[in-house]
Amino acid sequence: MSDLRSSIEQSDSAQRRRWPWIAGALALVAIVVIGVVVARGGSGDTAAGGDGTPVRGGTLNFSLIDYQRSPDPQWGTNYAESLIAGNVTDKLLWQDPKTGDVTPWLAESWTYNPALTEFTFKLHKGVTFSDGLPFDAQAVKLNFDQYIKGDPALGITPNGAPLFPGYVGTDVIDDHTVRLRFERPLASALQAVSFTANAGPGFLSPNTLRLSAEQRSADATKVVGTGPFVYESWKPQVETVLARRKGYDWAPPALKHKGEAYLDRIVFRSIPEASVRTGSLTSGAIDATLDVGTTDEKALIAQGYKIIYRPVSGTAIYFNFNSQLFPTNDIAVRKAIQLGWNRDSLTKTVLTPSYSVASSVLQPSVPGYADYRGSVVRFDRDKAAQILDAAGWKPGPDGIRVKGGKRLEVKLLGINNLVVNTPAYESIQQDLKKIGVDLKLTVVPIPDYTAQQAKAKTDWNVVAANRSRNDPAVLNLQYSPELGNGAYIGPESPGIDQAEVTKVLGQIETTLDPAQRAQYTKAAQDLLLEKYALVNPVYNPSQVIAHAGYIHGIVFDAQSRNSFVAAWKGAADDNRADG
Amino acid sequence: MVGYVAGKVGRAVFVAWAAFTVTFVLLFVLPADPVDLLFDPATINTIPPEVKEQVSDNYGFNQPVVLQYFSRLWQALQGDFGNSVQSGKSVTTSIGEVVPHTLVLAFGALFLAIIIAFVIAVVATSTRNQWLRGFVEALPTAAVSVPVFLSGILLLQLFAFRLGWFPAFGDDGWRSLVLPLVALAIPVAGPIAQLLVRSFGTELQSGYVTTSRAKGADRTQIFTRDVFRNASLPALTIAGVTFGNLIAGSVITETVFARTGVGRLTQSAISTLDVPLVQGLVVFVAVTFAVINLAVDLVYPLLDPRLRAVAASTGGRA
Repeated sequence: MSDLRSSIEQSDSAQRRRWPWIAGALALVAIVVIGVVVARGGSGDTAAGGDGTPVRGGTLNFSLIDYQRSPDPQWGTNYAESLIAGNVTDKLLWQDPKTGDVTPWLAESWTYNPALTEFTFKLHKGVTFSDGLPFDAQAVKLNFDQYIKGDPALGITPNGAPLFPGYVGTDVIDDHTVRLRFERPLASALQAVSFTANAGPGFLSPNTLRLSAEQRSADATKVVGTGPFVYESWKPQVETVLARRKGYDWAPPALKHKGEAYLDRIVFRSIPEASVRTGSLTSGAIDATLDVGTTDEKALIAQGYKIIYRPVSGTAIYFNFNSQLFPTNDIAVRKAIQLGWNRDSLTKTVLTPSYSVASSVLQPSVPGYADYRGSVVRFDRDKAAQILDAAGWKPGPDGIRVKGGKRLEVKLLGINNLVVNTPAYESIQQDLKKIGVDLKLTVVPIPDYTAQQAKAKTDWNVVAANRSRNDPAVLNLQYSPELGNGAYIGPESPGIDQAEVTKVLGQIETTLDPAQRAQYTKAAQDLLLEKYALVNPVYNPSQVIAHAGYIHGIVFDAQSRNSFVAAWKGAADDNRADG
Repeated sequence: MVGYVAGKVGRAVFVAWAAFTVTFVLLFVLPADPVDLLFDPATINTIPPEVKEQVSDNYGFNQPVVLQYFSRLWQALQGDFGNSVQSGKSVTTSIGEVVPHTLVLAFGALFLAIIIAFVIAVVATSTRNQWLRGFVEALPTAAVSVPVFLSGILLLQLFAFRLGWFPAFGDDGWRSLVLPLVALAIPVAGPIAQLLVRSFGTELQSGYVTTSRAKGADRTQIFTRDVFRNASLPALTIAGVTFGNLIAGSVITETVFARTGVGRLTQSAISTLDVPLVQGLVVFVAVTFAVINLAVDLVYPLLDPRLRAVAASTGGRA
């Protein structure tokens, strides 16, 4: 996102060269002045006491980097959109962020057929949308049909299609019973109805579903859900204000919160610039901020702010190897990259305590995760070199290995949307150079990444990203040759049994028995990490919030989005530093 | 004269058409399938083909390129650039909503910049103190050199976070406008001040000043009666030309100060490759430039008799 900005600044710099010393001197003076002021300014806020009994009322001022481009909860694909939408709408089920179990929410109970193609939900009675319409079976059907199939006449895209592949339809069985039907087994459907990340299945009032995309954006207050907060106002690019929903009494039982939200109001403020977010927090203009820079965490803790975080559940940041493109079509190269870089130095030089080095392609909170630090997810430079030697990769004149006259050059495509990505990849790049692998990095903004990814099959050896979905089926979605095919497995991939990969990964969608599912998930990880070395897990990204000590009860859900129904603001305003 | 006007108007229309066409080629034809950009990049490989097709169809991305071009051009001529793919809102509405915010910022900053520039120029040319003169003359260069981004952050650190005099963000009243205006005015003031310092210097050397002085006018009188008026015209011209600086600066100012506006909208439209919105914005900025230049071209002959003669004789280039 800084592309335009930096190009503008660079074009400025042509003129800058003429009087560099004046500019430099002025900047120096300014920095000294500010330094003096900062040093005199004292220590800022101190942590509040008053924990324990929640207090009702108050406004939470919360900042984040993104803004909500559309107030429609089923539409948005950025973090602000899913975060805010999650507090305006509710889901059928709540996934426990610790255990990964799905628990009741708007659905009190559920059953499914043995084939896992039909899922029947009994709805919680007495739930209403904030416009007064009842939340019933018909409303659920209207929502799923529009969400998954879209409505061209209203300009609604099929936002839910990736989450519910093979959706046939929803049957209204009685007022408070619905059945979702799918073409083929979809064990992950239960997790999908609890999904809180981008473009999620939060329920909108039938009155809202009748509106076009344009009408929903024109007046956010017409976007009506059953959630603990309702839209008060929405200013594109700037802020979204939510107000407490009166009469709300159906928070997920797992949260043990009864009745309405504690806060009167939440103001979500978009502040793109990191130093402004931090400065606004320390000057008391806001109470909490998401998207805390890694370098700011320590300083904020030192000033008495609380840092809370949760890893983004789903896959770790992965290096997906292209199994059909030279040189990553050689399993020796893939294995050497897995072993050839130092996890400790990454932890020490790049990551803060809020992040962790990956230990599998799955993030530890996903059910069925297994730990591979003992086998392939570890640093063993000698073994990596040995593997390459054995495969005929000989050190060339510049230290980079060569085989058949071709250099061991690995082209990586990554996204710069997370602050840690580029430094992490650079750390790995340096380590790999020592075993004779030349990792070439191209880390770009999201749209460029998306555009390049379309050519990844023929152009890129490694695609580096992550995928947020707290269900082991994420492996099938990401790597099955019939779905995401993250390793580009095909007839051109030497030594890989395509049918085996499809089958082993596909098994995850065929059972909901926890023990069996864990077994299938383990088998899938074994295949991806050990047998075919199709992925090199890097680190577990996190969502990090810094907040004042008087803020309590912000919950990270299973997808690491935040629920504010139980959040409260302590006897607090008095301890805020004045100005 | 009619030929001159027609030529200038023709050029403005050409600029707007070229902006539309170039963005169409760059955005719709070259990069990825625009449909891919509508989905979360992590899930892109798992989107069923029929879903992509349906979305393509919704936005008309599946039609032949030539047909898309002409239908979009026809709609654009009627002021319809389609709907933003990231919000569903009409592009025209999206831009229309934020334009007033940027206008307030841009014109406020331009006004402030002109004042700063005049103050600098007056001080630089009227003071007899060599040291002060040197310092003030260096200011415009320094102003141009400091990126808006840096000055914005410094202003915020000092006046918002430390001293608490002004809010760091928000658009509540005049106080929230002060810091962004100053940040944006600084680099814009630079070139105007440079020009003024130079033309004040030149005018002070010219014959009519000597004449005035001989008639017994003092320094202040010479300044206010003669030099000021004569030196201001080129400065006002350059103020018009710095419109580009203002637009570029507003992208950064709006981002740093978390304000709404055209700059911020452009930045986010580009960072999400919201194809219809980017196109609408590019055409909007191009048209604005063209209109400003057209206005300058048309007003100039009225102000300067020498140009009027040229316009009348060539009927074209001036």
